[in-house]
Formats: sequence, C-alpha cells, structure tokens
Amino acid sequence: MPAKEEDAKMQDERQTALGRRYFLKAFGGASTTVVAAAALCPTDAQAYDPGEEEMRGRYRETDHVKAYYRVNRYPKQK
Amino acid sequence: MARMKFLCDAERCIECNACVTACKNEHDVPWGINRRRVVTINDGKPGERSVSMACMHCTDAPCAAVCPVDCFYTTADAVVLHSKDLCIGCGYCFYACPFGAPQYPRVGNFGSRGKMDKCTFCAAGPEGDSTEVEYAKYGANRLAEGKLPLCAEMCSTKSLLAGDGVIIAAIYKERVTQRGYGSGAWGWQTAYRETVDV
Repeated sequence: MPAKEEDAKMQDERQTALGRRYFLKAFGGASTTVVAAAALCPTDAQAYDPGEEEMRGRYRETDHVKAYYRVNRYPKQK
Repeated sequence: MARMKFLCDAERCIECNACVTACKNEHDVPWGINRRRVVTINDGKPGERSVSMACMHCTDAPCAAVCPVDCFYTTADAVVLHSKDLCIGCGYCFYACPFGAPQYPRVGNFGSRGKMDKCTFCAAGPEGDSTEVEYAKYGANRLAEGKLPLCAEMCSTKSLLAGDGVIIAAIYKERVTQRGYGSGAWGWQTAYRETVDV
C-alpha cells in the first residue's frame, strides 16, 4: 500500500475514534444533567395506597363476634 | 370506627401454643414462619408468665416508617397490612419491629429471604376479599366473614383477646377487678388457697 493511502486511512480511523469519544462525552454530560435535575426537584414519598375498597374497615359486630365478647366476660351475677 | 387490638391476659396463658398452631393451620403458613408465638419469662421459676405475641398493629407502625418501598398501609379499622407485590424482602421492618413480628420464608441476605410475612389480624391483604389469590399470599380473611382472629377465638383459657380495643380493654378491666390479685383461673383458690404468694 502506498504511503499516502496509508496515511489517509489512519487519519480516517483517528477521526472516527474522536467522533466516538465525543459521542460518549456528550452522552455522559446529558445523563449527568438529567440525574442532577431529578435530584434538585424531589417529589414527596408516596405511601402505598391500595384504594378505598381495600382500606375500608371489615370489622362488623356480628352475632359471632358478640358471642365471643360475651363468653370472654365473667358470667353475670344472678 | 372500632380499632382492632390484641390483648394477652398473662395470668391466664398456659403456654399451650394452640394459638400458634391454629394460626399456621388457618392461613397455611409455610415452614419457617410463625406469625404468632408464645414467649415465656422466668421459665420454671416462681412467677413464670407466658405471653402470646404477634403483630400488635401499632397505631404509628415503625415497620411502615422504615419500609423503603412503602408497602404498608393501615385499614380503617386500624389493622396494619402490607402488599407482597411491593415488598422487596429488605428486612428493615424486622429490625424496626419491637415485637419481632415480620418473618421471612428463607434465611439469607438482602433480596434472597423472600417476601415478608406477618400477622394480618385475619384480614388478609390488598387483594379481593376471600379470593384464592388473597388466600395464597396472605391467608384467610376472617374479618370480612364477620369473625375475629382464630388464635383469640379458640384460646382455651380465654387468655388471648382480640377485637374492638375499647371492648376488650373493658373485659380485661373487669377481670382485674374481679380477681384482685393472683390468678383469676377457675379452681385456682381451691388448688393453691388464697395464701399463695405469686
């Protein structure tokens, strides 16, 4: 291969390499900006909310429950 | 709105572990997990006392305060429940809980011990009431059926109380007033006379 052609090929390779490095730098800078923006604008922590249906009270004073309370008391004095 | 609470009358607990067995059976709790257990102090000595312990469904629950994924929620009747879909098994709740209630299916480090499991006050979890999915993840939903936790309902000495905090506190107060001192167990004075100093 003639020396001139070889030089031209190496030059192309160098340019490609520089391009790749530039891309990585630019990508790194952009992602850092996004992370910094997210850190500067925090949102409040959200507790898990399963919805009203699941949060509602299920306890009912049924006959079954009333009987439980009754037998756990001392018998009434006659 | 009623606030659900457990109350163990230590004067009556005989350490039979029936509450532990009933809970495991009712909810098909896997090996290695005990949602409820009986703790005995001064074992074999005068003044021995046993207390049945599980999740106490704290008003300001420390487990919920430390959970990094906020998987805990409190229902309208003050039962502390959690979502196993959100739980990451980090173990923070186990360290935060003063009662040692949170349990894990496997022994291991962060991320390898599986989803946390604890007493649900027989109110299961955030799935549809009494469905197969709910049962598989959290166990039976007795509260939705108009019943109370099985551990308390089948306690043979009526030591473990569960239900509306105001009502069970009144029952316990009545017991303390009636028995005065020592044990209020039936036959206690016949067996040990009034002079026994416990």
